Amino acid sequence: MAPSGGLRYFAGRLVTGAVTLWVVSVLVFSAVHLVPGGYPDIVLGPASSPQVREALRAEFGLDRPLVLQYLEWVRHVLTGDLGTSLGTGEPVSAQLMRRLPVTAELAGLSLALTVLAGVPLALLAGLSRGRFGRGLSRLVGSSAMSVPDFVLGSLLVFLFSRFSLGLPVGGYVPLAEDPVANLRSMALPALTLSVFGLALVVRTGRDAVAATFSSPHIAAALARGERIGQVTRHHVLRNAAIPVLTVLATYAGYLMGGAVIVENLFSLPGVAQAVLNAINGRDYATVQGLVLVAAAVFIAINLLADFAYGVVDPRIRAGHRG
Amino acid sequence: MSAITASPASTGPPPAAAPRRHLPFHGDALSRLGLLLLIGFLLVAVFGAWLPLGDPEAVNAGPRLAAPSGRLWAGTDSLGRSVLPRLVEGIRTTFLLAGTAVMVTAAVSVLLGMMAAYYRGLVAELITRGADVLFAFPALLLAILLAAIVGPGAPGALISIVLICSPLMVRVVRAASLSVVDRDFVVAARVGGAGPGRILLVHLLPNIAGPAVVQATYALSVGMLLESGLSFLGLGLQPPSASLGSLVHEGAVYLPIAPWLVLIPGTLLTLAIMAVNLVGDGLRDALDVRGVEVRR
Amino acid sequence: MSAETGSAAPVLAATDLVIEYSTRNGPIRSLDQATLTVGSGQIVALVGESGSGKSTLGMATGRLLASNAVYAGGLLSVAGRPVYGPGAQGGEGLRALRREVLAFVFQNPVAALNPTMRIRRQMELAGPAGREARDGSSAAEALGEVGLTDVPRVLRSYPHELSGGMAQRVGIAMALRRRPRLLIADEPTAAVDATLRAQILNLLVSQCRDQGCALLLLTHDLHAVAQHTEQIAVMYGGRMVEHGPTAEVLGRPMHPYTRALVAALPGEERPGRRLEAIGGVPPVLHAGCPGCAFAPRCPDALPNCRDVRPADAAVAGRTLTCHLHPGEIGDPSAAPNDAGRPRATEAGRRHLDKEQEAAR
Repeated sequence: MAPSGGLRYFAGRLVTGAVTLWVVSVLVFSAVHLVPGGYPDIVLGPASSPQVREALRAEFGLDRPLVLQYLEWVRHVLTGDLGTSLGTGEPVSAQLMRRLPVTAELAGLSLALTVLAGVPLALLAGLSRGRFGRGLSRLVGSSAMSVPDFVLGSLLVFLFSRFSLGLPVGGYVPLAEDPVANLRSMALPALTLSVFGLALVVRTGRDAVAATFSSPHIAAALARGERIGQVTRHHVLRNAAIPVLTVLATYAGYLMGGAVIVENLFSLPGVAQAVLNAINGRDYATVQGLVLVAAAVFIAINLLADFAYGVVDPRIRAGHRG
Repeated sequence: MSAITASPASTGPPPAAAPRRHLPFHGDALSRLGLLLLIGFLLVAVFGAWLPLGDPEAVNAGPRLAAPSGRLWAGTDSLGRSVLPRLVEGIRTTFLLAGTAVMVTAAVSVLLGMMAAYYRGLVAELITRGADVLFAFPALLLAILLAAIVGPGAPGALISIVLICSPLMVRVVRAASLSVVDRDFVVAARVGGAGPGRILLVHLLPNIAGPAVVQATYALSVGMLLESGLSFLGLGLQPPSASLGSLVHEGAVYLPIAPWLVLIPGTLLTLAIMAVNLVGDGLRDALDVRGVEVRR
Repeated sequence: MSAETGSAAPVLAATDLVIEYSTRNGPIRSLDQATLTVGSGQIVALVGESGSGKSTLGMATGRLLASNAVYAGGLLSVAGRPVYGPGAQGGEGLRALRREVLAFVFQNPVAALNPTMRIRRQMELAGPAGREARDGSSAAEALGEVGLTDVPRVLRSYPHELSGGMAQRVGIAMALRRRPRLLIADEPTAAVDATLRAQILNLLVSQCRDQGCALLLLTHDLHAVAQHTEQIAVMYGGRMVEHGPTAEVLGRPMHPYTRALVAALPGEERPGRRLEAIGGVPPVLHAGCPGCAFAPRCPDALPNCRDVRPADAAVAGRTLTCHLHPGEIGDPSAAPNDAGRPRATEAGRRHLDKEQEAAR
């Protein structure tokens, strides 16, 4: 019973993810193609003659029914062809590959910082009992949750450029060129992005640890004379990990939006910056390609999180919850 | 019960242990602080325009990029406009825009969430799947995409906030409604011939109000964050109107030489969002609502 | 109380124990000079309505109370080792007591098991001290002893895959693995399917008898009490009101509260009569009760019942605390009974140690 239930859980999640991605692709495509001033208008240009427009229509396949255009686009996407930039003529996938490492590194560093610092802090906060400590941690946590990333980033930019505190502001150095300089140039952007994640993980983890500690099976373990350390290791960590995993998936979604702001603020040549440039330049081919990829990545991350808590919590696998 | 207390026969001595009226958020100093801050912000937003702070549009109120001083409390911007009245306008716009968006969000999601709980089958499926799909967009990315389609400005920001905050709120309302919809009093109302509209409004709504209010409070902070993020990227409010986010955007160029142009509106924005979050936490604890997430 | 001599001392001895919970609306007194003795190997029932303090007394034996519980006087010792009162140990001594002497069986058996850990591992962790390593075979044996069939499947299972009855059998097996001397079972059958209750209770009692382990059974179920236990203690308002051999007490209840309990039993002479028929609700005490806590609900209350605390008296083979039955020996008048005892309210209060706070 258990294995088949688990399999059904994982398969169900996979199907849901695929369906969601399909709906997203339809939405992105229709948004870009149907809105006045969208993709076709940009391709055809504002002031070209009817003959030129017809020729362009035929060349870009815009004369065919929209459904066929959509299917054509999907066929290309599935073979790895995300289209061609209307601005530069560069394939969107090439631009993506060039810029992806920057964004991936930024997100990876932020996530690492969040987990490595957040989990121990959450445990500490969950185990601590002091009234003052709790109040202070709530105040710090609330501020960290509330400060917009561009405000925090601006503050860091100002402080580090005004007082030369040892970290460079802006000026991205590729990892392959100089790893140390690369890390130094990534430190402030990653820090900016991880503050919200830290607050989220600490807050959720603290509540989860506290809630787990008040559950009957912990009382039962203590009643058997187990030490606090043992109880924490054996019974608390795994149970408290479930909500933390959930918010980490939430945080991944935040990272994708935050990356736009941080890449913009620190002039990092990442994917998020490219999306912003494409929107400002009305380069809808790039927009639809990159947004679809972003949504796919986000859906994949959520799937991973679903799988992760299916592994951690046997009740979810068996469909006892959610 | 109510018939008895209303009857003249029971007008004896007043109830001995009348519960003492507590201030809001009893024993929760931080949430009280948040409430105080929020009230302050709202007062500024509503009455700030009548304060004698000068004209937010008047250029050359002082020298350009002047630092805060006794006369110009928040300094001047690149056009020599006094920043203080612009800050007041920014606070008003930020709250007005996010507040409007949240009201629309709340109206839409409460209705959809209750319907998803009341009608099983296709309607529920469509609503929950729709929410799932909207969830699949990273928030700010969706807002940027919308700004690209609708064009930068307040309408795009408003639609973004509604689309981004609704899915979670629909889920929260639906979950709360599901726990009510099978209770005896709803069944009794249905058996008694009450129509769907009456059941949703009279029987469901009061029972889901707590979680909905808490969620709406958090949606307000998400809305403020989104609007300011969009405005910071230049995709939100366009000049000459000002929100706290667009003020940061305008000042960003001068960050090294006139940091107050960024830091003052940035700090105000942070405090405003924090106030809303703290009030949300306080409401959550006071109304004993569990499982409401803050933002995504 | 002479400590050290573990076997001679009763496994549980509570004397005038006072425990309060500090709440926003002031302290709530849960135990108001509770006195109870459980001899080695005895099967004792502790009965009372919810709020009577029986669960507090049960958890107090292992100092497992919620973090807002405040000790406010009296003594409690388990197998001669002080748990509350002078010489009470925290830390390692307390944990040793919990490991070696005490065991608990909880009301909700599924919730008392870690939801994310297989039964096998949980049995191992609950196994005899120093043998945390894989001792799957003895875990299987222990599960076999509590009447579980298909033991390998149970060992592989997660708690949510077990029925309430199975989970409670696992709970009993875990509790008895370290051969405790006192088992506290708090409503062990409340969350179990009604048809299995008798089986589970039979199992609990017979396992305790076999091991010579004393059992303190906290319950509402007077039928079960009558069938299985040797001694019964009836609790009201944080205090024992009647305590004696089960057959005597249930056969001829003397305290008005016990009489009401027995009369409320289904199948007794007045069918359909409920405990609420006494009128009123159990008290919520904010401080020590000056008189008898039951007086406001008592149909036979005497003028001094509300103001003067009745003394414990030996009546008809039991200990009775009631002005209606002042006892065969001793002063029947309403003289203050506990002049010689330390008044609990004056006793130093101190907060429980950190570990207990973490327990909740």
